[in-house]
Amino acid sequence: MRLFEYQAKDLFKLYGLAVPESVLAHDTNEAIAAFERMKPPLVLKSQVLAGGRGKAGGVAMVSSAAEVESEAKRIFELSIGGEKPEAILVERAFPHEKEMYLSVTLDRGERSFETIGTASGGIDVETTTEKQIRKIPLQGIDEKFAQEFGSLLHLSGPQNSQFADILVKLERLSREKECELAEINPLAIGSDGNLLPLDAKVIIDDNALFRHPEFAKLVPEDRFEAEASKQGFAFVRLGGDIAVVGNGAGLVLSTLDLVGDAGGKPACFLDLGGGAQQERIEAALRLVNKLPEADRILVNIFGGITRTTDVAQGILTVLSEGAMKPIYARVSGAEEQVAKEMLASTKVKLYPTAPDAVHAVVTPA
Amino acid sequence: MMLPQRAEPVIVQNITGRYGRLHTRLMLDYETNVAAGAAPGKGGQSVEGVPVFNTVSEAVTHSGAKTSVFFVPAEFAYSAAEEAFLAGIKLLVVITERIPVRDELKMLELARKHTATIIGPNCPGMIVPARKVKLGIMPVTAFAPGRVALFSRSGTLMYEIADQLKGGGFGQSIALGIGGDPINGLTAGECLDFVETMPETEAVVVVGEIGGDAEERLAGHIKKAAHSKPVVAYIAGRHAPKEKKMGHAGAIIYGNFGTAESKISALRDAGVSVAMTPSEVPLLLREAISSKA
Repeated sequence: MRLFEYQAKDLFKLYGLAVPESVLAHDTNEAIAAFERMKPPLVLKSQVLAGGRGKAGGVAMVSSAAEVESEAKRIFELSIGGEKPEAILVERAFPHEKEMYLSVTLDRGERSFETIGTASGGIDVETTTEKQIRKIPLQGIDEKFAQEFGSLLHLSGPQNSQFADILVKLERLSREKECELAEINPLAIGSDGNLLPLDAKVIIDDNALFRHPEFAKLVPEDRFEAEASKQGFAFVRLGGDIAVVGNGAGLVLSTLDLVGDAGGKPACFLDLGGGAQQERIEAALRLVNKLPEADRILVNIFGGITRTTDVAQGILTVLSEGAMKPIYARVSGAEEQVAKEMLASTKVKLYPTAPDAVHAVVTPA
Repeated sequence: MMLPQRAEPVIVQNITGRYGRLHTRLMLDYETNVAAGAAPGKGGQSVEGVPVFNTVSEAVTHSGAKTSVFFVPAEFAYSAAEEAFLAGIKLLVVITERIPVRDELKMLELARKHTATIIGPNCPGMIVPARKVKLGIMPVTAFAPGRVALFSRSGTLMYEIADQLKGGGFGQSIALGIGGDPINGLTAGECLDFVETMPETEAVVVVGEIGGDAEERLAGHIKKAAHSKPVVAYIAGRHAPKEKKMGHAGAIIYGNFGTAESKISALRDAGVSVAMTPSEVPLLLREAISSKA
């Protein structure tokens, strides 16, 4: 779960990491009021989860109330990666000459957490080459580790002590709150030599959320994604017109590829989960039937532990409940003959293979 | 890791849970020797005729098992894994999904300390059809004895591809789920090293998906190790959006990291034939085997 910048900065403060003074504004008037209180120069920052915010125009320097009004209006209307902000962070600007990058993140391949730093970071850190990377032991790091890491980034003296303090706190935050990523980009070096995190990016390990109830409901979800997660489905809304339902994440992912290759546009990814039973199939079909942008449903089941006859029975039940979007199905696996006979006299279009079903759903007669 | 022997005893952890019970029966049906189960507070019961013990240690003493099939819920996974290793379990097949990543890292560290192997987590387990050994939850109808080793990050996609292989006349020497989480115990590279020593394996199929760099690392490993057996791969998620977790905790693209394109080009660069659809896998496999011969 990714946090908004203002939420991540609240977490930073909790761990004693300094961040610029700021106010969260939910509309243009609140932004102007914040400006009146805080005095220029200030920065307005769109609170979206999508990346590339700066390049998309989601950040603006402002020095007058009139500028706040026009820029706040613009930013509230600016969609970044399909996402419009519900709030703007009004933040005190920090004049600086140099920017560093610092993060604590999971390296999946190395099967370890690590810290990554660059002496000159900022907006293009992904392309920078002078990265320093050190593995972080499971039990965490100490001041000495952090000082040594700072030295690798050409820091020394009091500045390196300040850096080490930031890294120790960031690592502790990452470990205690079970973050997949805790990132400061940029970590600004002010004209006075002081370091200050200007942006904060935090992604919490979804699987660890049961130990961190404080994050529950922190990030608003899409209504259908919320409903699906309550039902225990893995569900991602994709914006197209073909709802894709199957059993198993990999199988559904592979079905999305078949649909995409055939020129179709999936409306959603819905994984019923392993060993799905009749009620779950019914619940999934009811959910995608309500999804407004979907006008047809592709069901791809490879029956194993999930019984194909349960799938057929689930489809029969929802069909009996009233209007149902057209269903194109491939139901394969144990007892598939029985399942097919159960569905033979219904409106469900059955196909022997996944590519056949995909071809039919993408180019309906 | 050693290839499990026919009728080798294994235990099931959390055997009294819904999945533990169901899959104990299905493993027994396949003639796998589930010799004991563990479930705290349930000692003295039996599941499908298999005796249940309160602790892993008692289950191991009773059965002589070195292998455990693990259905313990995510919240308790770390301590149950620790209990297993302390009791002498050397192969832990972790079916459980949604284990926090830091717990998985700690589990791996323990496994290293005890020179044990973890398969998974969040995987369907492994099956060795010729030996009637099934340590996991895969539907047996898709699998048959044969000469292809099949490794997959995804469960159902492994079944789907096993079924496609069956349609193409190929069975499996071993099929093993690497797991859908960001962290895996046994890696695809280790799996390839393992089957290089298996005379009953003629070729390898690897099923990957978006997220992380396991396939890129595998490609690097293939180049370096120069194994003798041809490898065919299939990667799911070419049309997946970025920054969205696609069912598996590990199936997520960040920026340009973890894309299907990157994996496909790395594998092709290492001489692996990469199928664009599951149904293409048996065709490429046939080609790869005949060109190697």
